[in-house]
Amino acid sequence: MQETIQGNASVIEGLTALCPGDGVRHSADAYGNAYHWFHLENPHKMTMAAPLLKQAGARLCMISAYNPEQKEALKELCYHFDIAGIVYNVTLTITGEWPNVESITPLFANADWHEREMMELLGVPITGHPKPTRLFLDEELDAGILNEVVPLSVMMNGASTTDLWERILKDKEQKA
Amino acid sequence: MTTTFAMPLGPVHVALEEPVYFHLTVEGETVRNVELTSGHVHRGMEAMAAKRNFIKNVTLVERVCSLCSNSHSFTYCMVVENALGMGIPPRARYLRVLAEEIKRVASHLFNLAIQAHIIGFKSLFMHVMEVREIMQDLKETVYGNRMNLAANCIGGVKYDVNPEMLEYIRKTIDKIEPMAEEIREIYATNNLVLTRTDGLGLLPKEDALALGVVGPVARGSDVRVDVRKDSPYAAYPELTFNSIFEKGCCVHSRAMVRLHELFESFGLIRQCVERIPDGPCVAEWKSVGVAEATAHTEAPRGEVFYYIRTDGTDTPARLKWRVPSYMNWKALSVMMRDCKVADVALILNSVDPCVSCTER
Repeated sequence: MQETIQGNASVIEGLTALCPGDGVRHSADAYGNAYHWFHLENPHKMTMAAPLLKQAGARLCMISAYNPEQKEALKELCYHFDIAGIVYNVTLTITGEWPNVESITPLFANADWHEREMMELLGVPITGHPKPTRLFLDEELDAGILNEVVPLSVMMNGASTTDLWERILKDKEQKA
Repeated sequence: MTTTFAMPLGPVHVALEEPVYFHLTVEGETVRNVELTSGHVHRGMEAMAAKRNFIKNVTLVERVCSLCSNSHSFTYCMVVENALGMGIPPRARYLRVLAEEIKRVASHLFNLAIQAHIIGFKSLFMHVMEVREIMQDLKETVYGNRMNLAANCIGGVKYDVNPEMLEYIRKTIDKIEPMAEEIREIYATNNLVLTRTDGLGLLPKEDALALGVVGPVARGSDVRVDVRKDSPYAAYPELTFNSIFEKGCCVHSRAMVRLHELFESFGLIRQCVERIPDGPCVAEWKSVGVAEATAHTEAPRGEVFYYIRTDGTDTPARLKWRVPSYMNWKALSVMMRDCKVADVALILNSVDPCVSCTER
């Protein structure tokens, strides 16, 4: 039996065209709700994907940032959109070649907080955001202020390991 | 000459349930602009989730929030099940809906009570809280807890109900329904309530759509969003209920959506009690592979959205969630435009905000 792919055909076709050959897959949950997954060729393709989704009446549900290699330079962003109850997940990878991603807040007003949170908490480089201010920490606080605080776990381990002392030495060298 | 002043409100304020810091720009008594700073109760829960195994995370996510705690464990279990390609037994589907709708009734009544409190209608506040207490008793009797029900587990539910318990639930709904009807009548017709709420905090439909608001905030502006209908899950596809929409776009409309939804929830609870099938309450686990999945449900405040990535270990590589309040905060800048300073807390309450949810 041939399975029918549920969803907006023009959106699926349009997004598929922005992905490499193996960048598209479709899934369904136990209740038959469809989920579509698109891995864009590069972050710039998001400037084409977002207007397409906007035109189709998509609602942005969430943006998830993920660092699969735990390296600063490599991050994946997964944008989750809903059209008529069907979820379209659009993933892009930020690499050295493509180090920035364009803001979609001008098109999807509710991307504002997601993008500001990613910039503030995860250091995701987003360009073109209409108001790239912090979301959680007040602007009056110095950048990286939380790094000044020695976590309790490090403090406690200070008695039996060299972690705390090495950190103090490092800070001392930087100040010198 | 027009002069505006910056007015701080919060982070701790008598009419705010949780800490959030508003920067109001006011001209006399009139609010001209609203900005807010969050972050006072950020707990780093997403990072914590990536350090715990799948089972421990059920307990963790239930503590994201108290009022919609069940919605978090519910949606988290769904996203893990989606990643693992699992279904759950029919009985578990009904038990999940039962717990969710019981929580929805208690949550909506709490929000309505706080609205009465902010208005200064103390007797109504006390009455609604008294009625809500019936639902709290029900939760304590069935689940052993007033807030965190610990009802869900990956593959199904952790609790079961015998015929006597089902009869107790049915009788409790029979008892509370006429009381809720009386409350709905007061909110719909009382002059004091209407004077303070009708036409206040307008969120026109086009703004609601543009901002992507969810839950009763969206439905109070006639935006047709209800995950239970749009992406049916658990036992909802088999149950009869209506999504409630109002066209007033104001504080009163949002309250009326919640009031009407109480009765839809009563209907859903009754249907669960009557139709719950026999059988197991939990499915067999499937092995964990490399996968990513999403899931969303309709919590009392609106859509809760979860995303998971698995890497073949017993711990999520990434777990991310977005709560309804996160989408609704931005709408305050529209709702509070040109309102009076005295109405700020009342408008804020109408989005049923949850700070601990937002900040995780």
